[in-house]
Amino acid sequence: MITLQNIEKYYATKGLKSYILRHVSTTIQQGEFVSIMGPSGAGKSTLLNILGMLEEPTYGTYEFMGEDITSLSERKKIELYRNHIGFVFQAYHLIDEMTVAENIEAPLLYKKIAGAERKSRVADMLDRFNIVGKKDLFPNQLSGGQQQLVGIARALAAQPSIILADEPTGNLQSAQALQIMELFKKLNEEENITIIQVTHSEVNAGYGSRILHLLDGVIKEDLNVVNL
Amino acid sequence: MFTLNLKIALRNLWKNKVSSFINVIGLAIGLAACLILLIYVTYEWNFDKQSKNSANIYMAMTNISNDNGKVFMTFDGTTTALAPLIKQQIPEVKYVGRMDYGGKGLIANGENSFKKTSRFAEPDILRIYDYQFSYGNPRIALNDPHSVILTEGMAKTLFGTTDVLNRSVRYQDNINLKVTGVIKDLPANSSDQFDYLMPWSFYEELDADAKDLNWGNFSYLTRVLLDADANPELVNAKLGKLLKNYKQLKFATHFLFPQNKIHLYGKFENGRSTGGDIERIWLFMGLAIGILLIACINFMNMATAKSEKRAKEVGIKKTMGASRPSLIIQFLTESMVLTMISIAIAITLAEICLPAFNNLLQMNLKMSYFDTRSWLGIVGLVVITGLVAGSYPAFYLSSFNPIQTLKRKTQGRKMLDVSMRQVLIIGQFCFTIMLIISTLVIYKQIQYIKNRPLGVEVNALVEMPQEGALLTKYDLLKARLLKSGAVTSMYHSYSGLVHHNNNISGIKWPGMTADNNIQFNKVLTTVDFIKTTGLKVIQGRDFSEKYASDTAAVLVSSATVKTMALAHPLGQVIDLFGEKLTIIGVFDDYVFDSPYKSNNPLIVTMNKRNKGAITMRLNPERSLKENTEVIEKISRELNPAYPLELNFVSAAYAALLQQEVTLGILSNLFGGLAIFISCLGLFGLAVYSAEQRTKEFGIRKVLGASVYSLMQLLSLSFLKMIVVAIVIAVPLAYYFMGAWLQKFEFHTTISWWIILIAASGTLLIALLTVGYQAYKTATSNPVDALKYE
Repeated sequence: MITLQNIEKYYATKGLKSYILRHVSTTIQQGEFVSIMGPSGAGKSTLLNILGMLEEPTYGTYEFMGEDITSLSERKKIELYRNHIGFVFQAYHLIDEMTVAENIEAPLLYKKIAGAERKSRVADMLDRFNIVGKKDLFPNQLSGGQQQLVGIARALAAQPSIILADEPTGNLQSAQALQIMELFKKLNEEENITIIQVTHSEVNAGYGSRILHLLDGVIKEDLNVVNL
Repeated sequence: MFTLNLKIALRNLWKNKVSSFINVIGLAIGLAACLILLIYVTYEWNFDKQSKNSANIYMAMTNISNDNGKVFMTFDGTTTALAPLIKQQIPEVKYVGRMDYGGKGLIANGENSFKKTSRFAEPDILRIYDYQFSYGNPRIALNDPHSVILTEGMAKTLFGTTDVLNRSVRYQDNINLKVTGVIKDLPANSSDQFDYLMPWSFYEELDADAKDLNWGNFSYLTRVLLDADANPELVNAKLGKLLKNYKQLKFATHFLFPQNKIHLYGKFENGRSTGGDIERIWLFMGLAIGILLIACINFMNMATAKSEKRAKEVGIKKTMGASRPSLIIQFLTESMVLTMISIAIAITLAEICLPAFNNLLQMNLKMSYFDTRSWLGIVGLVVITGLVAGSYPAFYLSSFNPIQTLKRKTQGRKMLDVSMRQVLIIGQFCFTIMLIISTLVIYKQIQYIKNRPLGVEVNALVEMPQEGALLTKYDLLKARLLKSGAVTSMYHSYSGLVHHNNNISGIKWPGMTADNNIQFNKVLTTVDFIKTTGLKVIQGRDFSEKYASDTAAVLVSSATVKTMALAHPLGQVIDLFGEKLTIIGVFDDYVFDSPYKSNNPLIVTMNKRNKGAITMRLNPERSLKENTEVIEKISRELNPAYPLELNFVSAAYAALLQQEVTLGILSNLFGGLAIFISCLGLFGLAVYSAEQRTKEFGIRKVLGASVYSLMQLLSLSFLKMIVVAIVIAVPLAYYFMGAWLQKFEFHTTISWWIILIAASGTLLIALLTVGYQAYKTATSNPVDALKYE
């Protein structure tokens, strides 16, 4: 599904190149649950952003579902966002002016899905995440865990094939974090959604099937998680 | 999608109450100004465009040229002989009709008598203008000499009803006329106004001059309806050729001018239209659009200032697959919603302000809610305003890159972003400062003209029209008024003291060099002219009953003496078209016609036949009320049919300044609005900037910054922009107002204090606006600020 070849990212300041990523090459198959780990500044988020097409690599090739991303037009990228990629952020990034239901509905609007279908999908999501009672509340009326649930529901509503999560539990208490991880695992196993998450937590990484260890922009380790 | 965008827009408005309030109020004021402008322009634009054939209606104009063929005067008066000639000789002419200039004439139904505007017209006028007849037949309404057509308003005034066909009215307390038609009131924006219309054949009975077909008396109007497919230029060429054969027209030529253009383009130079009231329309447009633009800039600034907040939203939406156009549409929806709310308030505001505006411009403008065109205008205004205000923020905000906006907690300053906002603020204040300077200059100019010595003792000087029985009983009136003690001295003359407009050329005087075309203004008056008006006599004496020879005497102004270069004017004889007149007195120049320029030199002759106005000096020993009561009583006894119409000469002088006073009030008003809206915007930005920097202020305070230094920090950045605006605006305003002043021969100068007041005033208001917010932020508890993030 995803093929990275020799991805590099650096910033040139005063003639000095400061590397964020170096020689990153890897392949991720459909249905994998990958955790990217590493200390602060290792380039985890940058890698995820490149995977999510939010940033462009300085060098190297990136193929997403057989298409070369580096040469993709803005319009094509928007199509990919709409149909294949769901984002989950550490800071949830819900739209403050929209209610829970509207936040979940928003990506469907951009996908130009018909009204009736939208309503049923939103209802489905609310149901599935047990937040039906909160559908008319605004994000600032919810706890962090609830907000992240809405964030995931929003990402899932568009029925993406891959979810990119940047420290999805970073702002949550451990009980809530566990709940989110269980959810990811379930989505991965039951619906075959590819999940790539950036995390600091060994526990969270344990939920996945594969761990990429990043150190100073280089992949140090690529492990398969043995389910215990 | 649209409904969601709408909902979000409304929620955003509700959440950011301060900026919403500032935007709505600013836009509402700007839109209200534009709405009133729209009504005004529609009114002016539709001048003389009501009748079905208006595009083909022309008025015959007259060019008067000097010996070199240079046209020095263009006006709409024509001779009686022109109309029949045009009708016979030019095939494209469908109808030609003569009219008089119209005047106030007495019309009565029994005891109910009123002085109303009358006109005489040939029957074909009814075919040129398709007046809406409520009663009567336009084909025959002007056939009988003793008939009259009333407007509905006139009929109601006289009879209380409009169904008055075949009733009789009495004209000038003299002749009974039969009502042969009642027409709908004429729209205020049409040129040939009247309250009642009488047949030309009746005019010929009253005035021999009207009957006589001549080429010398330009006291009549000629209106022409051309065939729809006629080429007016061709017609004018034909007319020119035709008139060459008429030897009597030595110095005058005629041409046809579209009637529906005369109102806006009625200023002629060298025989060509060079503008006119259209300039006033441009001025209004500039002011109203300027105000609206200032309000739009507020919107842009507030929207981009809040960009950090909105950027996050943009980023999220982009990761969900929002395209840039969809985001642009969303932001435009927001500006449209805001504009819609503003227009509702603007319509209310405009309704409230219209009466005052009407009063100021002496008009009767109304909003027409049942006209689709006016709604189209309003919708157009909303769409344009929404687009102007919203497009910059929409393009700016939607351009954000998601990763930068999502990653950054506090956005770093982008050079371009800040400078664009600064440019807009500087633009706003430039406009504001220029308006303030203009207001002050106009005010100073009006004061300057007001303070120029008039040369006339205007206090207790009154005028009344000489009409009805007073035309014949003037001597009796004079005797009784003088005896009563209400009036100390009086004279009658052809026109009032302020308006003469009786320019002639061709006077000969001793020592004159060759032929010349110097124009003089001729005043026809009677004894006690100088005594009554209080003019300053330099040499000689006033006209007097004591000298029978005074009918062949003349008074001249000092400008005349100078023009004629007479060393010893008294006793010199001048030749006025064969009439020999001896100079018996010289008086100092006084102000008439236009107070802004030096008018033509004056020649004052004694002439009892030409009557028009009676000028009286009231007895200063008695109260005004007492005096007027006496005059009214005597006037009513002698001239019972006419109500007394007493006008103060001082008021007539004040009226000469009316246009500039109006301009002054308008620039005052718009200047005030501009500074108000600009400061609203500044306040909004200050609030926002303070909000944004609370944390920074908290930290600075913990580090020991004083309140003063913090205030300085926040205020200075804003004040710097105002200073830049002043630097740009002052030379511009100086240049434009200098050019404006040059239009007047007598004009004041732009003093340094005007610029000082405008600059320091703007700075002070801006300082107060920003300073309040800065003080509030600077004195807040640093702990609160630091907890906040």
